[in-house]
Amino acid sequence: MQIRHISTNLGHGLRRNLSMHLAVVLTLFISLSLAGIGVMLSKQADLTAEVLGNELQIQVYLCVPKDPNNAACVGEVTDPQKAAIDNVVAANPEVSDYYFESKATAFEKIKELLGPEQFEGRDAVVTEKDMPQSVWITLKDPDDYDGIVDAVRNLDGVSYLKTARDLVGPIYTMIDVLKYASWGAAAVLVLAAILLVANTIRLAALARRKEIEIMRLVGASRIFIAVPFLLEALVTALIGVGLSAGALAAFTQWALIGGLDDNINALPFIGWDEFVQTALLVAVAGPLLTVAPTLLLTRKYLRL
Amino acid sequence: MASRTVRPVIRFEKATVAYPGPGHPALDQATINVDKGEFVFLVGPSGSGKSTALRLVLREMRPTTGRVYVAGKEINRLATWKVPRLRRQIGTVFQDFRLLQNKTVSENVAFAMQVIGRSSRDIRKNVPEMLDLVGLADKGGRMPDELSGGEQQRVAIARAMVNKPMILIADEPTGNLDPATSVGIMGLLDQINLSGTTVLMATHDNGIVDQMRKRVVELEHGRVIRDEATGVYGFQH
Repeated sequence: MQIRHISTNLGHGLRRNLSMHLAVVLTLFISLSLAGIGVMLSKQADLTAEVLGNELQIQVYLCVPKDPNNAACVGEVTDPQKAAIDNVVAANPEVSDYYFESKATAFEKIKELLGPEQFEGRDAVVTEKDMPQSVWITLKDPDDYDGIVDAVRNLDGVSYLKTARDLVGPIYTMIDVLKYASWGAAAVLVLAAILLVANTIRLAALARRKEIEIMRLVGASRIFIAVPFLLEALVTALIGVGLSAGALAAFTQWALIGGLDDNINALPFIGWDEFVQTALLVAVAGPLLTVAPTLLLTRKYLRL
Repeated sequence: MASRTVRPVIRFEKATVAYPGPGHPALDQATINVDKGEFVFLVGPSGSGKSTALRLVLREMRPTTGRVYVAGKEINRLATWKVPRLRRQIGTVFQDFRLLQNKTVSENVAFAMQVIGRSSRDIRKNVPEMLDLVGLADKGGRMPDELSGGEQQRVAIARAMVNKPMILIADEPTGNLDPATSVGIMGLLDQINLSGTTVLMATHDNGIVDQMRKRVVELEHGRVIRDEATGVYGFQH
């Protein structure tokens, strides 16, 4: 009987307040989509950093035989040379952290970035052997790198240095601008969604005040009185989440996979794995955004 | 008060309800005991504290000082989540009936059972019985606005009684009714009382109080100024 009562009430509640529920669904849809895009851009920044290094990094490429970048290199960097470089880097106060990257890792990275086809078989453009070893140094301060550059540049076994900020700085700036713009807009819309949820509850509580008062007086439990409101909030949230997941899937398919990834080879792009992770976040955030204020406000408006 | 052998179902022990600001408290050191099966009129002018006393019994509020016991529970110390269970032992009737206009008479009565999770079978059995008791057995399918005021109050009484509460609270139940209809409603409340339900009724209706000859507790400025076992209204308009 209670389940029938609750489901009937849910249907009535959704119909009675249709325009308000639609407003909640639409604002939730747009805010969750923007927040989701922000999350995906953040993942994109992480992926870019993983492959290209981040603004705080300096990459020190070590000599290879017949090094095209440095005529002074006489052959492959030796272990004593590497140990000397290790000592210099470890002792430098500007360095926060560093690690050596092997030929194999470098080869895997380039294969992943540009696609494995041209690196396999007998006609391979580059082989693992051709890849330089490198030292990836993370700085304490991205603007404070003169000392380490000067200390390392002329060591034996060092071919050349690359400061990631020159290459990836503008990319990160762009990603950051888009990410924070998305999050900013999402935050404003989330606030709008919460206010709409509050208004919806107030209107619904007003429309049903006599019914709610009788329920209280005859001893209906607080949760029983609040359940129709919570279910309405959950239903609107789930519709908003569904629409938002659809929008993020479209963004992944047409903007990332079919758009940027097809046209820009110099950068790796996120794909369906990151979409699934983001969609899960959205699926948790959506109901939280409507159910949590509903829980708080039903106490206030229903005098439970 | 004579010594009691029956435990009171409602007990006010120096209960005071004070609001911030000047003016007398809504209820001032009120001590009232209502035994199981009693019929008690609560009389007094507007603002004397009648409604506050009823709200305390329903645990709509708590006393500022003093204690109030209802059905053996001290309401000051009753956890909020236990309040619904307390209210299931109390039926409530108001001056303005408070029926749901979009539900039939039967549905209005059934609503009180549905929302506390009673089974469909219980509802099918109890609702017609209750409508029969209040004399509306043939009007279950009517909408509230098709009924007279007296009939609407009978529906409200049926709804209040359908869960078989031990206490019936009536706040001016005849306030909107003509004298002849009021007599009918009082007859019904008396019948309910005779079947063992404790009735606590706030009223301004001196004719009814004088005629019923039940216990009368009179309040003025929140204080109990009279408590008579078989009293009359006594308050002059």
